[in-house]
Amino acid sequence: MKAPQSSASSFGWISGCAVLFILAAVILPLIGPTGIDMQRVFAKLAPDYGIFVELRITRVLLGLLAGGALALGGGLFQAMLRDSLATPYTLGVSAGAALGAVLVLALDLERILGFPALWLGSMVGAGAVLAMVAGASWRGGHISGVRLLLTGISLNSICSAFILLIYGVVRERRSFSITQWLLGRVDSVSYTALFVFAVAVTLTCAILLRQARAWNLIAIGETWAASRGVDLQRVMLTGYVCGSVLTAGAIALTGPIGFVGLIVPHLVRSRISPDNRLLLPCSFLLGGVMLAACDAIGRVVLAPAELPAGAVMAVIGGPYLVWVVRRRF
Amino acid sequence: MEVSGVAFAYGSNVVLKSVGFSANPGEFVALLGLNGAGKSTILDIMAGLRTADSGSVRIDGRELKQWQARDRARWISHLPQGIRSELPFTVEQIVLMGRYAHADQWFESEEDVQHAVRAMERMQCLAYRHRSYYTLSGGERQRVLLAACLAQEPKVLLFDEPSTYLDVQQQLQCFSTLTKLAEAGALCVAVTHDLNLALAHCTRLLVLHDGHIAADTPVLGAAHDAAWLSLLSPRLRLVETPEGRPWVVYR
Repeated sequence: MKAPQSSASSFGWISGCAVLFILAAVILPLIGPTGIDMQRVFAKLAPDYGIFVELRITRVLLGLLAGGALALGGGLFQAMLRDSLATPYTLGVSAGAALGAVLVLALDLERILGFPALWLGSMVGAGAVLAMVAGASWRGGHISGVRLLLTGISLNSICSAFILLIYGVVRERRSFSITQWLLGRVDSVSYTALFVFAVAVTLTCAILLRQARAWNLIAIGETWAASRGVDLQRVMLTGYVCGSVLTAGAIALTGPIGFVGLIVPHLVRSRISPDNRLLLPCSFLLGGVMLAACDAIGRVVLAPAELPAGAVMAVIGGPYLVWVVRRRF
Repeated sequence: MEVSGVAFAYGSNVVLKSVGFSANPGEFVALLGLNGAGKSTILDIMAGLRTADSGSVRIDGRELKQWQARDRARWISHLPQGIRSELPFTVEQIVLMGRYAHADQWFESEEDVQHAVRAMERMQCLAYRHRSYYTLSGGERQRVLLAACLAQEPKVLLFDEPSTYLDVQQQLQCFSTLTKLAEAGALCVAVTHDLNLALAHCTRLLVLHDGHIAADTPVLGAAHDAAWLSLLSPRLRLVETPEGRPWVVYR
């Protein structure tokens, strides 16, 4: 039995998650294979200043933003499709982004039209797959969830096959960089890239949160929502666009780290609330904390070698999710 | 509400050929017909959830297609046939969803909560308002969905088999509530297979057969003309109760 959700307790949950998010942003940059002396950082002395500002902070911020984007995307797709397995992964959006990125890596492109080629590649890949999946499942004026999921999983396999194909034909040096990218890692990026990503994430989050009540109704059923006054076509379309922007952006910068999109929304749903007014913001905040924390753990456990954040997430999060599912269902 | 010349086909399977009737506030219409006759389909079309292949549905003189989703939901509430959800939404959260079209804010207002509580009282599910929907029995769930539709405060109620899963007492409660709403000026349309429940509560019977409205009779006249009954089954017969109401018995 659950206590009624009042706006006060909702506020409590969101601010609790926000505090964790901020704590992670402050503490995690300090964690790493080499110690950081903050006095040297403030005095702008090498190497501490460089490591801290150029490497650690950007890396933690990227982890927070990308983890948040992927978790929010997962929560969104689960509401849209009323399927607890729906994530950017199962819809093929991740694989499309990965294929685009791998293609760019294989062709050894640095920049296209002034944009980082990797970004453009994954955006185009994600967008193309989403258009194909949505096009294939569009019939009679609306998109069918089952068809969408089946098409998504098929395209996921097709993209994976092409990635293997490309992997087979490129030379060794490039295949190494592809492997590195496919493992899914949070790495330092430029502040410009971070800024662009942050703006995109903020905008899409704002749009999605405004629609949170409509997402609750859609999570129950499409006709249920339509008959209660939800403008189904408009809300669903917004969901597809926002979901793919979030996913493609995150994957372009980190590689395919998918698990966070499955595990975090499920934890929030069973532990905090299925209400998307809470679920979406809490998933974003906790997803960010989780990915950044996994990356920090990956930096230190095997130092000086680094474990990719995706791998850490799977090792820690996997068993936990199995345990939660066993208890709840 | 005016329905005229509505046709609908699922692919090559023609369900509705030409359905037409009009209904006014204060009526409680029972929509009868065999399985697959298209009762749910015409109800969906009247609710704006499906678009007819041809023909039109007008409400308050305005073509249904021209209505904004939100305005439509303030007029019409549609109860679907059962909803399965594994999500841990509570009963109260589901009933509050009925207020979507009325609330502009991110959180429901005190007024929304009051409407929801009244609706839950009416459908006798207030006692378990904090339980998760997916832990409830079929009948308890049905009462929650009914409450959500009532909380919507619609002028037109389109209910697809509202008495499904309900125990006898709750079936009577559900139909009496609809009778009261109709008496207060709403238009209620219920798809049902329970003929006696319909005869005891409704004001009018519509029988859908072979893609048309094959019979359209006020309940008071239904006793004298049993033609509509033979459309449903040859084994039915009408008798009169000691109170003078028509009653269907089986042969």
